[in-house]
Amino acid sequence: MSDPGTATERGGRPNAELAVHLDGITKRFPGVVANDDVDLRVERGSVHALLGENGAGKTTLMNVLYGLYEPTEGRVVVDGEERSFDRPRDAIDAGVGMIHQHFMLVDTMTVAENIALGSEPRKWWGLAVDHDRIDREIEDLCDRYGFSVDPSATVDELSVGAQQRVEILKALYRGADVLILDEPTAVLTPQEVEDLYGVLEELTDQGKTIIFITHKLGEAMHAADAITALRDGKSVGTVEPDETTREELAELMVGREVLLEADSEPVDAGRPILSASGLTVEGNRGVELVSDIDIEVHAGEIFGIAGVDGNGQSELIDAITGLRTPDEGTVHFDGENVTSWSRRRRIDAGMAHVPEDRHEQGLVMPFDLVENAVLGSQRSARFATNGRIDWDGVRDHAEDVIQTYDVRPPDADADAESFSGGNQQKFIVGRELERDPELVVATHPTRGVDIGSTEFIHDRLLELRREGKAVLLVSSKLDEVQALSDRLAVIYEGEFVDVTDPDAVTEEELGLLMAGERPDETDARGRESTVDVDKPADGGER
Amino acid sequence: MIDDIDRRTVLGILGALTALWIVAGLVFPDSWAGVLLSITASPSTHTAMLRLAVPIALAALGGIFAEKSGVINIGLEGLLIVSAFSAIIVTFWLGSGESTMLLSHHWWGFAVGVLASTLFALIFAIVCIDFKADQIIAGLAVWLIALGLAPFASRIVFDSPNTAGVGRFQNVTIPVLSEIPFFGYLLFDTPPQVYLMLGATAVGWYLLNRTAFGRWVVASGENPKALDTAGVDVRKVRYAAVVLSGVFAGLGGAGFALGQLGTFAGGGETAIGGRGFIAIATYLFANYHPIGALGGSFLFAGLEALQIQLQNLGYAVPTELIRTIPYVTVIVVLVFVGKTRLPEAAGEAYDSDED
Repeated sequence: MSDPGTATERGGRPNAELAVHLDGITKRFPGVVANDDVDLRVERGSVHALLGENGAGKTTLMNVLYGLYEPTEGRVVVDGEERSFDRPRDAIDAGVGMIHQHFMLVDTMTVAENIALGSEPRKWWGLAVDHDRIDREIEDLCDRYGFSVDPSATVDELSVGAQQRVEILKALYRGADVLILDEPTAVLTPQEVEDLYGVLEELTDQGKTIIFITHKLGEAMHAADAITALRDGKSVGTVEPDETTREELAELMVGREVLLEADSEPVDAGRPILSASGLTVEGNRGVELVSDIDIEVHAGEIFGIAGVDGNGQSELIDAITGLRTPDEGTVHFDGENVTSWSRRRRIDAGMAHVPEDRHEQGLVMPFDLVENAVLGSQRSARFATNGRIDWDGVRDHAEDVIQTYDVRPPDADADAESFSGGNQQKFIVGRELERDPELVVATHPTRGVDIGSTEFIHDRLLELRREGKAVLLVSSKLDEVQALSDRLAVIYEGEFVDVTDPDAVTEEELGLLMAGERPDETDARGRESTVDVDKPADGGER
Repeated sequence: MIDDIDRRTVLGILGALTALWIVAGLVFPDSWAGVLLSITASPSTHTAMLRLAVPIALAALGGIFAEKSGVINIGLEGLLIVSAFSAIIVTFWLGSGESTMLLSHHWWGFAVGVLASTLFALIFAIVCIDFKADQIIAGLAVWLIALGLAPFASRIVFDSPNTAGVGRFQNVTIPVLSEIPFFGYLLFDTPPQVYLMLGATAVGWYLLNRTAFGRWVVASGENPKALDTAGVDVRKVRYAAVVLSGVFAGLGGAGFALGQLGTFAGGGETAIGGRGFIAIATYLFANYHPIGALGGSFLFAGLEALQIQLQNLGYAVPTELIRTIPYVTVIVVLVFVGKTRLPEAAGEAYDSDED
């Protein structure tokens, strides 16, 4: 194998272009090979995407580069020099910074305190932190890279996008030349994603090198100069975005042909399954989190709700599924007023729910999958007689779900927490959809799920729709709600700003709606109440 | 949590009641209000308050460091008992009133008391941080062990749960400053442990708010993973914070024993009498602010001083009821004012090997 690092040292052609070279990295864990002889060459000043499905070994590889793991075999070369990082501190010192998917920020501290954390400049013989110097250095960085943050703001006041910039500043403050971003767009709005691309461009213009981990094709195609795909721990090729197509890339990554566009052929919408009117939910401080929302979902229809997280989706869904009692309004399910029904009665009546937070609401993490499979059905006649649970029956059911929904590894006795996020999600979706429900309320059903499984979950939702079930879909992924929904509502600050035909709006228009811009500012008030939310829009035409 | 109740309204009502009491006390000096007012205003009450505040304020300061770093140290009471007892017994063994190497035996006893509490805190730290034991259970164990060990050792040495008396620290009077009217006698003619309390609070505040170490402590309690990825060893920070809590609590326990009690009564809940738990209530009341905790300890110690003065004057005051006041206050503060916010990761062991 050629070795540009030593070539340079031997006085060969200067090969300063490679900022990072991972050479034949193998990382074995007991019983698992997470990385198998992976090569990664990242040119200085480029954006390099590391593409792969959940569990393909992307994060492991980057943890090797960041000093969290020691490679079993292989070399890490940074700036032409072979390195061995025992801990993140060593990587930081060598100019490698990492922006984690879950931000590593202390919410109660200020931006400046977070940026300098662990690297505080001292004064007075180390007895005090030199605040002025921190502020000055942050200001310099902001000027240089065109950021604007208030160093004295506390982190929890900031939007997610701004928090991410603080993370980037934190890495730059420590002198990072190579920035690793782990799934940086997972939590951002479309506009924030655009801003991030701008930031990445600015950084690479100034000579910084970016490696970003993603499982989203579009992102890799759009933002990267080079893409390395990983599959099952092996690198399966490095390509440039203009030399390939999304389809080719998807095939490379998944290892088989993938249908990227969910195919939603027209289905005639039937009777209303769920209808809620005047739903209002107040928060702890009496603020209205959901304001007077009307919603009607018909049999054979997918009704999508798009919006930036935290605009009342969670509370609306809680009110519909019975996790929370609405302060005003009624919920009808299949013709019956269920407003005061308990969650259990609603489940029994055929209301399935894929919750938004799989750790908090979807699974009991220390329980194995058998135990998790029976959650919500523990009293149903199918699994229980006289309060005794039929564990053999439950086990069969769990194994069915595992097989049908391709949960990996297929081990029903493993604790839920030992599975990756994507596999946990597949299991929850499987459990909920196998209840044979009349209505599925699916909140972010494919969050953190790789494209292979996403495709599968989408297919299942569409299949339910064909079978004449009703689906209420909440997602912050625009392409998802747009592709699947028959009607699409955009929620902003607890109200539907618009209910529209998803094929008739562009992603940009949706982005603006999600940011609270009304479709027609002049008669926004009038429109809001006249939008025909009770009838499926063009349901039959699609 | 009830957020509707305006803090200003609560403070306003309290202020109005206080004003009413003062006016009533001034107008009718022989009434209850008047007696209470004269006791509250008397210098001896103030002096007693400062001395009684020592174990509470210093244990609270220690508790702040431990809990801010993410380790809830519910064993403060145990640390107070251990340091108070060892300070007394070491002074007794060495012979009180004499000195070795220019240092009086009271100070040697004091040093050993602080050391004992620090060692206990270190063991607690090892159990909680390295062995990831439940902090509450480990903290209770510290208390229960101390509660049994002190009277047991006392019984061996003195054949009684109570130790012999060893005398107390003398007041240290600072010339000139102690002549300042109103508070000169209070702050500058007082036993050494009171100076220590005031000094330690200032140092603690500075350490927590102005140094890099203070930030690491806060980060370690709020988001240890963030601190870890920033290249700081969470384990070391937590060890330092918990050991520091042992040092502060030790200063409080040994100072209280040698400066106020002069002996150690090991019966029942011992001479410490739940002051370590009041310290926990105090720092929660003060929302982990060292100076606020000092103020809180003045408040609770002041109530105790009042009760003692009233008893001295022959008024029957239900001691047990007065003792509940700190806890009731904390519940009221937690529920109605809702200002106290526990560190996000408090009570959780940190495992740096995760993913």
